[in-house]
Amino acid sequence: MEARRSRNQHHNLSSSSSSTSYTQKKPSNVTRHQSKFSSSARSHSNAARVPFNNAQEDAADADPQSFSDFNPLVGTCPYMCPERERIQRENLRDLAVFERLHGNPAKSSPSLAVKKFCRTISTKYIQPFDMRPLNVLEDTLNYLMSLLESKEHPFEVVHDFISDRTRSIRQDLTMQNIVNKKAIYMYEQMVKFHVISHHKLWHSMSDPNIASMHHLNLEQLTKTLASLFNLYEANRNSTYVHENEAEFCSLHVLLHLDSSSKPTVEPLSLWFCCVPALVLKSKEMQFARRILRSFRLGNYKEFFRTTASQASYLQYCVMEPYINEVRALAISCINFGGYKLHPYPLFNLSKLLMIEESDLESFCNSCGLKTCTDESGNKLLPTKQTTFSHPKGGFQHYSFLGLQEYESKF
Amino acid sequence: MAYMSMGEAHRRITEYLNRFSDAVSSQDGASLKSLFAVSSDSHFLLSLADALNIFHDAPRLLKNSDNYGQYSDIILPLFRCLQSYRQSNLLEAYTAFEKAANAFIQEFRNWESAWAMEALYAIVYDIRVLAEKADRELASNGKSPEKLKGAGSFLMKVFGVLAGKGSKRVGALYVTCQLFKIYFKLGTVHLCRSVIRSIETARIFDFEEFPKRDKVTYMYYTGRLEVFNENFPAADHKLSYALEHCNPRSEANIRMILKHLIPVKLSIGILPTNMLLEKYSLLEYSDIVQALRRGDLRLLRRALQDHENRFLRSGVYLVLEKLELQVYQRLVKKIYIIQKQKDPSKAHQVKLDVIVKALKWLEIDMDVEEVECIMAILIYKNLMKGYFAHKSKVVVLSKQDPFPKLNGKPVNS
Repeated sequence: MEARRSRNQHHNLSSSSSSTSYTQKKPSNVTRHQSKFSSSARSHSNAARVPFNNAQEDAADADPQSFSDFNPLVGTCPYMCPERERIQRENLRDLAVFERLHGNPAKSSPSLAVKKFCRTISTKYIQPFDMRPLNVLEDTLNYLMSLLESKEHPFEVVHDFISDRTRSIRQDLTMQNIVNKKAIYMYEQMVKFHVISHHKLWHSMSDPNIASMHHLNLEQLTKTLASLFNLYEANRNSTYVHENEAEFCSLHVLLHLDSSSKPTVEPLSLWFCCVPALVLKSKEMQFARRILRSFRLGNYKEFFRTTASQASYLQYCVMEPYINEVRALAISCINFGGYKLHPYPLFNLSKLLMIEESDLESFCNSCGLKTCTDESGNKLLPTKQTTFSHPKGGFQHYSFLGLQEYESKF
Repeated sequence: MAYMSMGEAHRRITEYLNRFSDAVSSQDGASLKSLFAVSSDSHFLLSLADALNIFHDAPRLLKNSDNYGQYSDIILPLFRCLQSYRQSNLLEAYTAFEKAANAFIQEFRNWESAWAMEALYAIVYDIRVLAEKADRELASNGKSPEKLKGAGSFLMKVFGVLAGKGSKRVGALYVTCQLFKIYFKLGTVHLCRSVIRSIETARIFDFEEFPKRDKVTYMYYTGRLEVFNENFPAADHKLSYALEHCNPRSEANIRMILKHLIPVKLSIGILPTNMLLEKYSLLEYSDIVQALRRGDLRLLRRALQDHENRFLRSGVYLVLEKLELQVYQRLVKKIYIIQKQKDPSKAHQVKLDVIVKALKWLEIDMDVEEVECIMAILIYKNLMKGYFAHKSKVVVLSKQDPFPKLNGKPVNS
């Protein structure tokens, strides 16, 4: 990677008369949308669309295909970070922990600095040498993904860095109108990153900073997934369906299991109209639809049985926030309708809800329900208790029996 | 294209221009309307288009006249639109039409009364239709289709022009309905929210003042949105309104309304007669209705499978899938009724094994644990009154009203 980055390109740093193309990222107020066609629904102006004159915040993240009318730039920057940005940030001491050479907050290097995301004002100020071509973007993404393994820093720090830098990658792809299969592959990687973050951040939600990070990550996940769907559509022909499309479509369903109780941007029923038949028949989509059905009907037995037997790692990560919800529904039903003289054995219930018996006991307690023990020492859940309530701070993390290998991916 | 002489072409163009200025000066909305209806493929406009493709000097004709010179901003793009349309160049046709429409709106704003409303309706309609055609052309050439989206933005502007205190505000609902059609087609239904808010909360609008036809269309689309959000009481109210006020002779429209109303009614426990389904060719629902009447889970699942594509496309599949709970309720009720005939004193105790057996007869493989789970859910959602005894593997039904009817209310969530 080093050799490639120090290709002999002399950038005339003084040629640019414009201000630097990067600014501080503000948390975005994302309007989610998933339109069948890729054009951004955010610009309502009737005038010829100039991509970055849109004042709305996430114009810079707009879907790849909306700029096909314009002559796309072709980037020439050979480094993960344009040289002038790197030098500027060195001077301003604006270097992330991963970008510091030997920990020096004022010194980076071409193999460490990665282009930051910035909300650009206008295409006029963007020069080809500020833009990374496809091959550099691929390398940059691979480098960022390798940082996920890093044990040196807490996950939130890693996440924050990768999230910002991949957003910049998406921006470069969009502005150069790269919409081919390589782009698809890159977007899939980035969705995977956000899904894994969704899973890992969720377990530290008691910290309010991480809770907001989790929320922002979910926004980016949804946005990236929507762009990925547009790419699939743009590359689709009558006989070809991208090999991973089924799994990523299933992730969309699993992210919106409770969409009918919340008025979301696009109802799931409407989204299903646009799914190609081949994808609908796939085993991943059949899985997602079965989960959706059992969730909506409240069939907790089928929900857990299906999850345990068929969920992939990514699917599990995305479903995770719903799992405890279904467990709560299950014990709620049992508490409500169970015969008073037949308290429910926790042993059986734990198998049903795919949770360790000890965890189940604490789960019941956090829902305000007491457990008891019979003469033989078996733990039971007495029914008709009046104290059931959802825990205010949400649920803590519990294991999922049979899917422990997914948990150990921490 | 039939042969036309230069003189004939000139005559036709002049005739159009005369009709235009006559319509405006006599404030004849109906006549003006026919001059804009491009997609209607009227003989008059098609032959005008032919004339324009022969006689290329229309701009000069307009400039040199006093009568129609002031409308050249509207007419010249409209002429270009007709020419392109005739040559099946639909992208150009839309682009030109939008320019003409824009210029028309500027004039329309200045006209005092709402005399030109009919013409505005024709223009609004064609903005949508021509944009759809343009998008089809773009897509078939491998380009990104974006004209319909642009049409949506344009119509929002038109809406703004009509949303005032004057007599023109009565046209706002028509524009709203065209916007709904665009957003539904594009899948961007969340954009409906802002127009709905304007119509329903702005004090300048009185819903009852709008033309009936527009009210029906409006309720149809807002009703469908409620179906998407599974807000069944609201969906029932709106779609029923549309049904009641729909022209009884437009069977196609009634069918469309029923297609979405029936799943809503089923979800609140109201079943249509087979006669109704036959009359409006909605027999895809007949097995589902039958399944609900009989408690036949196998039939429900098979019907969902057989008509999966149709139900998915109209956005009702998920709603229908949820009817399973009511089918289970019916099945258990049947078992209860049969037991009552055999031994009334013990009828209210239903062994889970019996339910397992009944399901097996329906070729559905479910173990006792899952049946218990279903029973627990039915009780929790008040579809069944009673309790289940885990150790004895039995459901004990309440002696009074063990299977409460929905009575027009959706199942508890």
